[in-house]
Amino acid sequence: MCEMKKEWAMVLLFTFITVAGYSQHSGYLPIGDMAAFKKQFAAESSKVSSIESSFTQEKVLTALTEKITSTGKFWFKRSNRVRIEYIKPYSYTMIMNGDKMLLRDDQKENTVNVKSNKLFQQINQIMIDCVQGTVLESKDFNVSVFEDEKTYLLEMSPTARSLREFFSTIVLKVDKKDFTAHSIEMNEKAGDKTTILFKDKKLNTQFSDAVFAF
Amino acid sequence: MRCLLFESIIAVCLMGCASEYAHLQKTQNDGDCTDKILPLTIETSWYDASVDVMGKHISGLLLIKNMPDSSKRIVFTNEAGLTFFDFSFSREGHFSTVSVIKQFDRKAVVQTLERDFALLLGIPFLNNVGQRYTTGDDVYFGFKEKNGTAYFITNKDCASLQRLEWGDKRKRLVTVRTPGSGFPTPALIEVDHHTFRMNIRLTRIQKE
Repeated sequence: MCEMKKEWAMVLLFTFITVAGYSQHSGYLPIGDMAAFKKQFAAESSKVSSIESSFTQEKVLTALTEKITSTGKFWFKRSNRVRIEYIKPYSYTMIMNGDKMLLRDDQKENTVNVKSNKLFQQINQIMIDCVQGTVLESKDFNVSVFEDEKTYLLEMSPTARSLREFFSTIVLKVDKKDFTAHSIEMNEKAGDKTTILFKDKKLNTQFSDAVFAF
Repeated sequence: MRCLLFESIIAVCLMGCASEYAHLQKTQNDGDCTDKILPLTIETSWYDASVDVMGKHISGLLLIKNMPDSSKRIVFTNEAGLTFFDFSFSREGHFSTVSVIKQFDRKAVVQTLERDFALLLGIPFLNNVGQRYTTGDDVYFGFKEKNGTAYFITNKDCASLQRLEWGDKRKRLVTVRTPGSGFPTPALIEVDHHTFRMNIRLTRIQKE
């Protein structure tokens, strides 16, 4: 009798945990075969050599009921080259090119060797991994994968302490049609979140390497 | 001749060491002017922030938010959205840190920012009685605090606020200016430190 009660309790606990897990990402279900997904993700992502896109970024300060929306342009070229240019309502450019990173605002520009700054290196790597499709190999995160009809959802929980200070999770949504990033949602410990939504993506087009020059 | 040279050196030294506030002349208080200028308020706004400190440059977005309970919050994030710090001033002006990342979490850094933002938000002028001084065409209203005096400075007829200052007995420490449109919606805010290399430039963001 006691054993049966224990079994029921386990079933209820499992059901609760499962439902709680699913409800975090409404409409998404866990993928069945992680190994097959990894293989497909790597193969499909490798077909994308460049991305040119617009983006909208929304930063929400939950406790303060405040948000700010910005828009800009995004470029990626395999491998390890990313340019993010905020155009409105402020002007700011980040260029990641291998081990170097350029940060340019209205007043000044800074060049950073990401190897000399672990935090920059990790943040640089997150962006590269998210758009290059190498996030599943990252040692900085535990990744759970879910799916709905149109997208895969990769929930990345940071394992590195330096990243845990900033993020509770990073949620990457990947378009099923071309395996490129649909959106990146960075969730902070205090409940604030920043979502970058990519729009008008052009894949594998020719554009000059000068985009990443500094 | 040698004596004259010595006296000149002493005179230059004394002038150099003289308090920057020595020329202020105490005058009778002017409640009308204080009532006209205070309380200083800034409407809830986002600012494009640029900070230069000891040769290093940091940029980001600064939110000044008036909360429903009359407290004020100052939140600094980078352009990509990461929150660097979130400071709070209660309705009575008490400062507290809601959150701050490790890189900013140093006593000297937090105290410096606390004083800068307190001056900008007019916190020292809240529950304090000021003293009026004049010098040339400027009228100073000084409010003594534990670690110095906070001043708001107007023109002679109190038509407009010229600037805000922190000073100690001898030196000007910090100046806050709002060139162009002033409070409560300053389009540009400049905070300059005079005892070490630090300045903050805030440009109001027009949200779409």
